[in-house]
Amino acid sequence: MSPALNEKPFAEELPAASAAGVILDGRYLPPPEDKDGKLWVRTSALVQADAQELYAMWHDVEAAPAWQEQISQVVTTGERISHWTMQSDEKTIEWDSEILADEPGRRIAWRSIGGESDNAGEVIFEEAPGGRGTIVTVLQEFRMGKLTSAWETFVGRNPKQAVIENLRHFKALAETGEIPRAKHQPHGDRGVIGKMKASTYGEKVPIPSGSN
Amino acid sequence: MKAVCWMGKSKVETLTVEDPQLLNPHDAIIKITRTAICGSDLHLYDGFIPTMESGDILGHEFMGIVEEAGKEVTNLRRGDRVVVPFTIACGNCLFCKKKIWAACDNSNPNAHLMEAAYGYSGSGLFGYSHMMGGYAGGQAQYARVPFANVGPLKIENDLPDEKVLFLSDIFPTGYMAAENAQIQPGDTVAVWGCGPVGQFAIASAFMLGAARVIAIDRLPERLEMARSLGAITVDYSEEDVSVLTALKDLTGGIGPDACIDAVGLEAHSAQLQGTYDKIKVALLMETDRPSVLRQAIQAIRKGGTLSVPGVYGGLLDKVPFGAAFGKGITMKMGQTNMHNYMKPLLERIENGQIDPSYIISHRITLDQAPEMYKVWRDKKENVTKIVIDPWAETAA
Ligand SMILES: NC(=O)c1ccc[n+]([C@@H]2O[C@H](COP(=O)([O-])OP(=O)(O)OC[C@H]3O[C@@H](n4cnc5c(N)ncnc54)[C@H](O)[C@@H]3O)[C@@H](O)[C@H]2O)c1
Ligand SMILES: [Zn+2]
Ligand SMILES: [Zn+2]
Repeated sequence: MSPALNEKPFAEELPAASAAGVILDGRYLPPPEDKDGKLWVRTSALVQADAQELYAMWHDVEAAPAWQEQISQVVTTGERISHWTMQSDEKTIEWDSEILADEPGRRIAWRSIGGESDNAGEVIFEEAPGGRGTIVTVLQEFRMGKLTSAWETFVGRNPKQAVIENLRHFKALAETGEIPRAKHQPHGDRGVIGKMKASTYGEKVPIPSGSN
Repeated sequence: MKAVCWMGKSKVETLTVEDPQLLNPHDAIIKITRTAICGSDLHLYDGFIPTMESGDILGHEFMGIVEEAGKEVTNLRRGDRVVVPFTIACGNCLFCKKKIWAACDNSNPNAHLMEAAYGYSGSGLFGYSHMMGGYAGGQAQYARVPFANVGPLKIENDLPDEKVLFLSDIFPTGYMAAENAQIQPGDTVAVWGCGPVGQFAIASAFMLGAARVIAIDRLPERLEMARSLGAITVDYSEEDVSVLTALKDLTGGIGPDACIDAVGLEAHSAQLQGTYDKIKVALLMETDRPSVLRQAIQAIRKGGTLSVPGVYGGLLDKVPFGAAFGKGITMKMGQTNMHNYMKPLLERIENGQIDPSYIISHRITLDQAPEMYKVWRDKKENVTKIVIDPWAETAA
């Protein structure tokens, strides 16, 4: 596996451990800890597809609504800039995102540059040991503060879990061409408690379409 | 359509619900012609499996006719006759490629729930809790089948449904249990539980070369069935019978080469052990009643193989791991990797080596299902396997 990537996804100075890589000089690197109002999540998936193909899929930001939860629209507005809209019921929040690093087949890093979400992230694509597919590792940072807590209540899912679920959807889409779903299936009367449980099971958040 | 719904612990109702729809490109809708009640359904009925929700449609053993196929399903068309495997697999992830289909990465929409409990999620299953996918089950008139390009087995002969239905679970499950037991020609194999899974494990053990099979249960009709397959039977409920002594006596004192636990987490136990587990489970200090597992680890010969098709769900108490280590045994287990076995076992049915319908004792309608869940749990009316015709009307 490649060494950790040190380029900072966020504009300010970050510790060396803040990149998506999980190995540095032969040592395992734990994910960054939450502190100073910042939340971090690092998650990875082993995908049966080649790195170039997965990079291209991630890079196609306008197709993000097909696999990212509650993203309703992404429009490319500049060479490195795109405008993101997130929708939950009838409420929406919007922000702009800028690509900071772009290494075809290997890595993408980005950050928000204004709007109602304060986040930065990085994804790396590496060949798995033994050639068993591609390991996709995502590191995402959220700034706590008024914005992020508003975002969290808005999204209805812990933002860390949302990153994990999005990578899961990405993998399923890349491997099978669809995202598994069991909502909207027939069932008998759920009763009062059953309806409450549906949201604890994470079923309140709609699963992205898997296609445009 | 009509469907059998789980409405709480020990509460099952046949209700009229919406028809299923295609939701994904690899889905198919199957019009179900036969379906069955499984020993695994009892773990739901008895409330042992978490994340069931009132209204969930039960059932994971079904077959039928393709009613509608999604746009990416290229191998099936309307009118095809298929048996559906109870584990749902995508065919493309690392696990499917390794043929560990029951570990598929992409078929459980609620994988996060299983990750929390087990570390990683297995494949989605039909009608088996939200943790295992939340898919509507097959004790109904129609079902939606995801990844229909990968799972369903086309039946292109005119064998009646009853002869091929059990390719959906219990025949492959019994067969994989025997395969997991790593049977060498001449081996003696002990099988706990003579329910449907045990029956097919016994038959499969002989197919794989076992010289002697010892079958353990307490229900006379099931023991009788095991003897008809050629097994020696041991009734564990008889007062003067000790299973451990019986297994020594029947193996020249060395113990069986392989043991198969086809009972799982709801094992009965006549002794103090049973009361101990009941109390612990009731106090939430233990989730399963592993008396058969304990006994099998104790009984197995040195260096033997223990195969566990019986389902376990959570935390087990007083499992003699020291004995397992001390004797250097191998243990193999898990949900059945269905897709490996359906076709080869269909061939065995086609060429007359086995007719799986011999285990059926009851043929019922959907409306009779709630009543029959009780009979099945209490093992009344000499019940050995219940098959449902979802289109039949109950005679007045
Ligand atoms: N691994 C899989 O993929 C898979 C698939 C299907 C079923 N199963 C599991 O296999 C098990 C058996 O299924 P089934 O349909 O045959 O169920 P079943 O309930 O009909 O059979 C269980 C049998 O075990 C017997 N039994 C209970 N306690 C015993 C004891 N102490 N010693 C010996 N026998 C005992 C019962 O009398 C009964 O005959 C269940 O746990 C079921 O969930 C697993
Ligand atoms: Zn079953
Ligand atoms: Zn798979």
